[in-house]
Amino acid sequence: MRFLTLSNDILFVYYLLANLIYLGLLIVAITRNVRHHHQHGNFRLELIKASPFTPPITLIVPAHNEERSIVSSVGALLELDYPSLEVVVVNDGSSDATVEKLQEAYGLKIARILYIAEIRTAPVRAIYRSPQEPRLLVLDKAAAGCKADAINAGINAATSPYVCVVDADSILEKEALIRIMAGVFADPGRVVAVGGIVRVLNGSRVVDNQIQQVKLPKSSIEIMQVIEYLRAFLVGREGWANFNMLPIISGAFGIFRTDLVKQVGGFRTHAVGEDFDLVVRMHRRLQEEHRPYHINFIAAPTCWTEVPTDWNSLARQRARWHKGLIDALWPNRDMLFRARYGRVGWLVLPYMWLFEFLAPVIELVGYATIILACVLGVLSKTFFLFFLLFGYAFATLISMGSVLLEEMTVRRYGDWREVARLLTYCLFEHFPYRPMTMVWRLKGIWQYMRGDRQWGAMKRVGISADTAG
Amino acid sequence: MGSVFKAIARSGPAGLVLGAILVSLLGIFLLVGFIVFRRWYRARYFRRRNERTVILRARWNDIVSGKVAPEEWCFEPLDAEIVGSILLDNIEVSTAESLPLLLECLRKSGLLDMLIYQARTARSWRQRAALLALGRTRAKEAIPALAAGLDSKSAETRVTVVRALGRTGIPEAAIPILDRIVEGRLDAPERSMKNSIANCCRNNPRILISYLDQTQGPARELLARVLAEVASAELGDELLVLAADALPEVRASAARALGSTNTPYTLPALHSLATDPEWFVRLRAVVALGQIENVDKIGVLLRSLCDANRHVRQRAAWALARMEPQLEQILQDVVATKDNYALQAFISELERSGAIEKIISGLSGSGQHSAPAALREVVEGARKSVEMSGKAMAAAAGH
Repeated sequence: MRFLTLSNDILFVYYLLANLIYLGLLIVAITRNVRHHHQHGNFRLELIKASPFTPPITLIVPAHNEERSIVSSVGALLELDYPSLEVVVVNDGSSDATVEKLQEAYGLKIARILYIAEIRTAPVRAIYRSPQEPRLLVLDKAAAGCKADAINAGINAATSPYVCVVDADSILEKEALIRIMAGVFADPGRVVAVGGIVRVLNGSRVVDNQIQQVKLPKSSIEIMQVIEYLRAFLVGREGWANFNMLPIISGAFGIFRTDLVKQVGGFRTHAVGEDFDLVVRMHRRLQEEHRPYHINFIAAPTCWTEVPTDWNSLARQRARWHKGLIDALWPNRDMLFRARYGRVGWLVLPYMWLFEFLAPVIELVGYATIILACVLGVLSKTFFLFFLLFGYAFATLISMGSVLLEEMTVRRYGDWREVARLLTYCLFEHFPYRPMTMVWRLKGIWQYMRGDRQWGAMKRVGISADTAG
Repeated sequence: MGSVFKAIARSGPAGLVLGAILVSLLGIFLLVGFIVFRRWYRARYFRRRNERTVILRARWNDIVSGKVAPEEWCFEPLDAEIVGSILLDNIEVSTAESLPLLLECLRKSGLLDMLIYQARTARSWRQRAALLALGRTRAKEAIPALAAGLDSKSAETRVTVVRALGRTGIPEAAIPILDRIVEGRLDAPERSMKNSIANCCRNNPRILISYLDQTQGPARELLARVLAEVASAELGDELLVLAADALPEVRASAARALGSTNTPYTLPALHSLATDPEWFVRLRAVVALGQIENVDKIGVLLRSLCDANRHVRQRAAWALARMEPQLEQILQDVVATKDNYALQAFISELERSGAIEKIISGLSGSGQHSAPAALREVVEGARKSVEMSGKAMAAAAGH
């Protein structure tokens, strides 16, 4: 009986703490956004474009069996507003006609280019250049079975001081690169990486790989993900970045200083969450060397990506994300509570362990003890009901806060009806979506413990010529 | 009767949770209310602003010329804001002829004085916004107020001031920045400083020369880098002096600057820089040579094509491959160097530029100008070699 009481008390404190931390992050994110708005309200992007001192960027596009979309994706990337751009497409042993499609579109020819494998990768079979488009470089490499290896090959071939990793099936807004680089220009000596926001593409109108009209998707499973993405990026990442504790920059869109990525050995091959893993290793290296640095997040530069539309794909994706989380946390467990890793070791990593990795386990145990306590009459039913209501209200408050942040920052959903829909879904997100997320994450833990590091396929509707999702 | 909170506290843990629920619910209502209010307020504000903009735009010429007295609009905050922003936008794209009239309007209406006052007295983001707006005015009297901000304790304010001074585009605005660089007491991001100095000195790069003479080390490299971007033919002999500077960065910048000049001394100077001991100086010289329209550069570029550094060879090949009328002769000269690296680099560039097929057909043609069979074989061999080495290098590098 005492165990059950104690367990319930711990659960209550845990839940309260998790929500309070998120509330704190929300307040920080709102403050930071207001400050950012005031600071950069007069910042002119065209000045960056016109400046001869704007550093070049290499966009790395890992592509595996992307014959359907690769030409339009590369075309859109080459159209981005940035004065000095290089696009490196890495064909990761595709079994389809990815390279042939590019060859056809850009008249690729084998090039004699110095390629030094500073980061070890699977063999590069050929390097192509386009006579029509000198900014394009295509690497054809043997498949290594992981995205990280393809990105590493791209980093080896990159000639710019900054690299930006982009998914071949995602869409960058035209000004995304300039906006994200503004984060570097603020303090080029210290800023080593900047993450941009990734948003849900489903439902929006897309023409020629450019967003024409932003709209909310129709199905509830997709709208729930819109809220989740807003909460994760606008509240979580913005909040952590404020204290230079950003633990992750999304693999779909982020820029990194090339030399530093090479110093840490590039993306870890066969890591399930290679993006998270890289950022943690960057923190580790820079903290160990006592170098002043900042890993930043900016909400304005936007990358649009397609999210799962069916429950099975979503379940696989969430299980994989959780495997990626464990896969990055476990090898870096020695950073926990070590003075040399500063606030990363004392705050953000313990948070990730306790409130992200272990969250589904603690929730499951909590549900079990609460039910048991109710059955045995140890738990006051009034208290239990109030506790559930409190959890519901608090989580809704945080979700609505992220919608407010969306309104305050880039305000992509212009129509008030869309905002009303978002706010309404904030009320219904908690059941059954969240408990299901818990189950998928538990599955991820189970799969990881069994040694299953597979990515799992995601069924994509695809970006059609007109509408996505 | 006690307060609600006292009642909750008396009711134990459940009461506390109930209190938390109430606070959360209140938060939700406040958030939704704020979002709705913000949407309504913004819609109303922009509707009003658009209406006023249309009215003010209709009278724009009279406002600028002073026929509409400033008192008619400058005491109305929304109107003053609209006129101010239109004026600043117009000033940014104004020509030398239209600028004085716009500045006159800014001065007579008191908007300029107001901005100077805000830049001097406001704090935090308000001050930074005023400083940036002041920079956009391109008015000379803004410079002292801006210069004062360079000594601010706030790093953000200093960066804003550096940017604002750059926005003026006036050569005099560079002087406060340059003075502080020389004295080593300006702590601001290098890129912002370079951009601002370049913007200000674009029409008068000579200012930089005198400051270059007073600086050493990294500050000198910074100024040299800016000079490379803004240098013009009028700098004359001074560029030659820089081309002989002890600092390689300065020599590289001089090489870059020489690329935008076309004087009798340009080619000899670049010729000399193309044999510099530092590879990046040679590279800059070769890139600059590529920009110059002069067939006499072929000899220098041919020598650079045999350079020990791969980047220099590639840029030389790039420059040579774009000299279309002379390509056949250049190809023969490249073959005559008997340098396989040079030949590969050149053939590779011809492949990229698409000129190779034309040359091959030219070599295969019959008649007295057709190339000897030996040359054709060398070129075909080099083409195959380029393709093979491309594959081999990639494969070797991947392992």
